Amino acid sequence: MNQIEVIFTLNGKETKISGDPNKTLLDVLRDNLGLTGAKDACGGEGECGACTVIFNGKPVNSCLIFIGQVMGQKITTIEGLSVKGVYHPVQKAFVEAGAVQCGYCTPGAVIAAKALLDRNSQPSDQEIRDGLSGNLCRCTGYNKMVDAVQLAAKEYSNG
Amino acid sequence: MADQSTTIGKTEIRKDAWQKAAGKALYTADIPVENLNYGVVVRSQHHYARILEINKTAALKVPGVLQILTAEDIPGEKIFGPLIPDQPSLAQGVVRHLGEPICLVIAETRIAAQRAKEKINIKYQPLVPVFDPVLAVKSDAPQLHQGGNLVTELNVQDGDVEGGFKEADIVLEEVYYLPRISPGYMEPETSLAVWQEDNMVTVWVSSQHPFTDQGFIAAALDIPISSVRVKSAVIGGAFGGKEDSSLSILAALGAQSIKGALKIVNNRRESFLAHPKRHPAQIKYKLGAKQDGTFTALQVAAYLDTGAYSSYGPAVGMIFSETMTGSYRIPNVKVDTYVVYTNSPISGAMRGFGSPQSHFAVESMVDTMAEALGMDPLKLRDKNILHPGDKVFTGVTINETANSLPDCLENILEIRKRFQAVKPSPGKKAGVGFALGSQTMGLGANVPDDSTHRLEWAPDGRVLIHLGSPDLGQGLATAAEQITAESLGIPFDQVATLELDTLDSPNGNVTCASRMTYMVGNALLDASAKLIQELLEHSSRMLDVPAEKLTYKNGQIHKPDGSSIPAVEFVSRLAEESITLLSESTFSFPYPEETTPKHLPIGMPHVLYCFGAQIARVEIDPELGMIDVTHFAAIHDVGKVINRHGVEGQIEGGVATGLGYALYETMLQKDKGWVDSFTEYLLPTAVDLPPNYQSIILEIPEASGPFGAKGIGEISLVPTAPAVANAVYDAVGVRVTRLPITPERILGFAD
Repeated sequence: MNQIEVIFTLNGKETKISGDPNKTLLDVLRDNLGLTGAKDACGGEGECGACTVIFNGKPVNSCLIFIGQVMGQKITTIEGLSVKGVYHPVQKAFVEAGAVQCGYCTPGAVIAAKALLDRNSQPSDQEIRDGLSGNLCRCTGYNKMVDAVQLAAKEYSNG
Repeated sequence: MADQSTTIGKTEIRKDAWQKAAGKALYTADIPVENLNYGVVVRSQHHYARILEINKTAALKVPGVLQILTAEDIPGEKIFGPLIPDQPSLAQGVVRHLGEPICLVIAETRIAAQRAKEKINIKYQPLVPVFDPVLAVKSDAPQLHQGGNLVTELNVQDGDVEGGFKEADIVLEEVYYLPRISPGYMEPETSLAVWQEDNMVTVWVSSQHPFTDQGFIAAALDIPISSVRVKSAVIGGAFGGKEDSSLSILAALGAQSIKGALKIVNNRRESFLAHPKRHPAQIKYKLGAKQDGTFTALQVAAYLDTGAYSSYGPAVGMIFSETMTGSYRIPNVKVDTYVVYTNSPISGAMRGFGSPQSHFAVESMVDTMAEALGMDPLKLRDKNILHPGDKVFTGVTINETANSLPDCLENILEIRKRFQAVKPSPGKKAGVGFALGSQTMGLGANVPDDSTHRLEWAPDGRVLIHLGSPDLGQGLATAAEQITAESLGIPFDQVATLELDTLDSPNGNVTCASRMTYMVGNALLDASAKLIQELLEHSSRMLDVPAEKLTYKNGQIHKPDGSSIPAVEFVSRLAEESITLLSESTFSFPYPEETTPKHLPIGMPHVLYCFGAQIARVEIDPELGMIDVTHFAAIHDVGKVINRHGVEGQIEGGVATGLGYALYETMLQKDKGWVDSFTEYLLPTAVDLPPNYQSIILEIPEASGPFGAKGIGEISLVPTAPAVANAVYDAVGVRVTRLPITPERILGFAD
């Protein structure tokens, strides 16, 4: 069977994988690299945001990226956010604001929020809602996620 | 030593949140297992058909394929069902809904399983399907099951309905239509099964009741129940939809057939087609009132479409019927409910369990009645609300919780003024509407409803909860930990919850029915008292001091001389004697014999109620019909807050789901199938929810609840849709009787 080899930067480390070119980045993260933080909730259709990763600074649905497309690119997943057991301010804010319930959408929403704050460290309520609008959540009603992003934004401005 | 501060009512941070935010929590699909194989389900391409032939020859030649199972390959029970065994694990000769499982393909890789699936050739003889429950009960309709299409008929009558309507000055009648909606949990159904050398099978499930799965699995595999170990992984939401089994049975069957490990994950389309939904309903609602507003009579005839298999349909029919009088005194009532098989996707349990449907009718009608009477809808409600001691038509006496209803209305009065004072945006029409809601707790009279949980004081000092019912993500474990910490007077951080494993955990019964904090809390209060007693007896022996002279407080054993010894020291010494300090307690949902009516079917009535109210301000573009919910408030009585974030989260999440029901969600028929993806089935997103939002939490203690707590999980979405419908009417004068309230319905382009 056709295999391709791809080298890219994953959570700051050079990573080499080989696989079927029909595989998506989400498949590779979950099946080959054991990084199961990114989730599939919509069946790989790019509708739920649970598989969001940061691709060269931008949030993308990893279920819509074929592995060939990540060659030479920089990818950050939820596992790359906490460094040596120290949680990223967005992770901390999600926990402390009560934005985590079942948690299945949480990694994707945290990543989307981080990507938002990286480009706009003081977003308005509406900008936060827009920034999270690609991430479906059935548990929280999103209010506490918005609170969490506001809380993290404070940390960004202090930091 | 200072007293430990109390934990009840505080926002303790749930312990699983860190793992979840770090992406390290293991859901069923994430569990690493060696030599894992993949299962893919081949599903019916028809709504209703006879299966003439299943040809697996080509599929079996696909490299990597290990097995293809059909109904014939099931060694034991081929049929399951939570209330009525009517659902085949794999279809037997006939398929009754689109997406019904026919074969299970097992392969070494997911891709190989997919390829093989495409090569399975199934010959069908299509049959004429029936989708409308009203038509399905007629004698000339295709009969889906032996015994016909009527699953249950519930007829409840109280008083003289005809006389009640004669007494009325105004009688109004309307038919309300409710759509089929999805629980919409983010984690699709998933199961992972591992067959072991010792002929045991371990199955990880995402399920509201792993002990039910255990029973169905043992029956299907024809092995002793003790050979089945079911473990609960982290669960990605359930909302009632994971009360049904199905994938766990298939995964276990597959593991047994290959004597190996197998994972099956439904994709979202499969989840839409093959897993239970909220029942679509047609409700003919006739209400009579005197000119002064007093309700005199109610008559309801309603159909619930339970789809191809009954799932929890009969039980949903009960709460649906019981909540038809909403939060009101109505002296003469007749409710006839028909739960009907059709060739639609299965409907079953979903958050609210019939009450969101009934309340759309009740609360829309009460507003319509208020207008007909020329009364303020708030005054009309105030005149008719239930009060403690009132008997509703099922014979249940409402307790003190009804004291929350006047509080709800007072809050509505104040908020309504505020919402009405907001000026409409240019070109928009604004309206404010509200609704009350009622929801029952518990499984219903004469249904076994016992919940057992265990405490263990570990030698490392931690108190471990062997929780017998899974936390679905709502925070049950956190509530259990807070209640335990409070009862033992120890810090919250000292208490931990173990994941459910049928090999070790007690059976806490199914996580559902707005009753988990109540059941678990009551059981753990008792278990804590027993644990303390047990500890006192052991310390008495070790210290050689009579037990009655020792006291326990806040993790310390106090001696008669005033000195104290930390409890953990005794626990460590017991460990040296190979004794584990354990206690277990069962709480049974109370149905006091003297107050529980006996004339109703098993499962009826439900005797404990939750009440709440919600109010919405909407803005509508009169040309485009677009609706914005700009302001929203939810007022709910929870008895007693255990975890503030937890309660707020339940209310906020409920409102979001309620707004989806009101405005967006419907699993329509489309082409030859159904809407089955998030592209067309719209869940509310962060931008759809009102930025101006408020929860008001009332605490009227429930005498039978732990620290006074009661349920909140379901009631939080019950008043939402009618509140929005009433606001829409206030804004543009269009009475929408069919959900969701789409721009087309507002503009009159659709019924």
